[in-house]
Amino acid sequence: MHLSTRFRRGQRLWLLLLPTLLWIGLLFVLPHIKLFLLSFMDRRSGAFTLANYAAFFNSSLYRNVFVRTTTFSIVTTLLTLFISFPAAFIITKVLGRKMKALALIAIVLPYWVSELIQAFTWMILFRETGVLSYLLQYLGITHHNIEFLYHNSTIVVGLVYTSLLFMTIPIINSLDTLDDSLIEAAYDLGGDFWSTMREIIIPHAAPGIMVGSIMVFMLNLGNYVTVTLLGGKNSLWFTESIYNQFIVRFNQNQGAAFGVILLTFSVLFVWIVLKITKQDLTEAM
Amino acid sequence: MPQEIDVSLVHVTKKFGDLVAVDDVSFEVPKGSFFSILGPSGSGKTTVLRMIAGFETPTSGDIYIGGERVNDVPPNKRRCNMVFQRLALFPMMDVLGNVTFGLRRRGGMSKAEMERLARKALERVGLQGLGRRKINQISGGQQQRVALARSLVLDPTVLLLDEPLGSLDLKLRQDMKLELKHLQARMGTTFVYITHDQTIALAMSDTIAVINRGKIEQIASPEELYRRPATHFVASFVGENNKLEGGRLVRMRDAQVCEVDFGGILMSGRMGEPLSPGDTVDLFIRPEMISLRPGRHESGFPGKIEEINFDGSHSLIVVNLLEGRAPITINVKLQHTEQAPEVATGDLVTLSWRWDAANAFRSPTGKEA
Repeated sequence: MHLSTRFRRGQRLWLLLLPTLLWIGLLFVLPHIKLFLLSFMDRRSGAFTLANYAAFFNSSLYRNVFVRTTTFSIVTTLLTLFISFPAAFIITKVLGRKMKALALIAIVLPYWVSELIQAFTWMILFRETGVLSYLLQYLGITHHNIEFLYHNSTIVVGLVYTSLLFMTIPIINSLDTLDDSLIEAAYDLGGDFWSTMREIIIPHAAPGIMVGSIMVFMLNLGNYVTVTLLGGKNSLWFTESIYNQFIVRFNQNQGAAFGVILLTFSVLFVWIVLKITKQDLTEAM
Repeated sequence: MPQEIDVSLVHVTKKFGDLVAVDDVSFEVPKGSFFSILGPSGSGKTTVLRMIAGFETPTSGDIYIGGERVNDVPPNKRRCNMVFQRLALFPMMDVLGNVTFGLRRRGGMSKAEMERLARKALERVGLQGLGRRKINQISGGQQQRVALARSLVLDPTVLLLDEPLGSLDLKLRQDMKLELKHLQARMGTTFVYITHDQTIALAMSDTIAVINRGKIEQIASPEELYRRPATHFVASFVGENNKLEGGRLVRMRDAQVCEVDFGGILMSGRMGEPLSPGDTVDLFIRPEMISLRPGRHESGFPGKIEEINFDGSHSLIVVNLLEGRAPITINVKLQHTEQAPEVATGDLVTLSWRWDAANAFRSPTGKEA
């Protein structure tokens, strides 16, 4: 009887896991296997070839776009961290209960709007006839319309904005578990703001910082909407290259190879960063 | 020679909004002494400690450490260190990292020198060889010692202890209690210890300040506090006591001794505060100060044993007094010595005690029993 209940419990567990397994299997694993296979096929004959990968490594354009995407993703991740960490610290350790709830709502609220709409709002602010341009003329700082869109910095602003939530929330979570008496103890033993920050607060928040950074980096690397809308045709983001191969050139195999390169690289990058910072992924997540 | 004072509070008051957490508290802690602040939770004792440490600023009044007024000195610049209730060890560092934290902040010392001092401090608390352990790899008792070493290595003028023994189990607490006292005696550092546990305070302290509702009730040596409580609160809070409520003070025998009428039974006691005939008073009698003789005797109070609770070294015997209009129950602590009388439930016995084993205070309710 004991065995049979255990068996039934096992069955139930599988049933509960089924939606997740289907989700991951059908929407993640299968497409990626297909993508992987496609990337090694010749466009016309379907025979095995490495030409799709060779095309990437032989073209300075694709390589540069890739390096540019990565560099910008890293820069925006760091910028996001520099904005999010103080915010998370103030929310968890400085504000009272009521203000904390308000601040959290203020952080989450903008994300009730889709990324597409967020990008459009930025466009309203930044375009040649937009709010910012008008404001500068109104203040007499300039006398003609200024185009703020389609610059590198516009892309960075947009990306930082869309990623703030994903950095702030994990850091808030990790700082929440930091006992305030640890900070007091550090002060009591002669610590000042910076040494307490360096030796107590940041090490404690490291898993949250790691999770936030990984998420934001991945989101930036794979971003399409914000980058294309704010950066325009010349945004030169790697996802745009993938899109072009699939949709514009109908070269699925080339697009698949780019996709595999992006995936492999980002996983490798995260792994290296985790190794360097001596963080454990299971611990961080 | 005037005694050197390490900590002194002068008319310190702390308000949180409308709440007066600490109300006009003054005391002095002589150098090298073990000073305890004893009070129930919410009495304001933690606030007093946090004001000495610098985490709270007094609303009014002054705080001096080592003769220097420290009201405006931040906690990281005060010559006092604190052992926190939940210890607040740094889990991101090993034991040695915790102990050298303060030294590193102070600077002006080589790494080797810091580690030497830290190892010495660890040795002093009996933790040699554990420097490289992580905080979560050592036991609760060892963590206590690390917290002590972390503060003591800085050689503070005053060590503040926020009930750090509270989280330990009974046996470990007993051991640590003695060890802490010996450590304090050996090092000569001034300790200010706050606790709600009177057994700890009585066992360790040179001086105890009893605090209730933000006010100091009495500052005295443990023995004085135990034998001659100054207020009704101290009598009921410190130690076990039989509390006989609502007696009427009949007359005073002299300046110290009064006689109280409990429903026809006359008992004498020491006046803990100035009283006058006609006052409604409560009488506190220590259970271990009562002598119990089998049978009826001329002097003393006859009673019948209601219940016997064996407790190892002694028994707690519940006796109902026979005379008097209202029932009066008195607990007697009987030590199991060779001379101890053998008694059983239902036996007739006679209780007696010296007048100074009983302390009389004006009843806060004012109701006669």
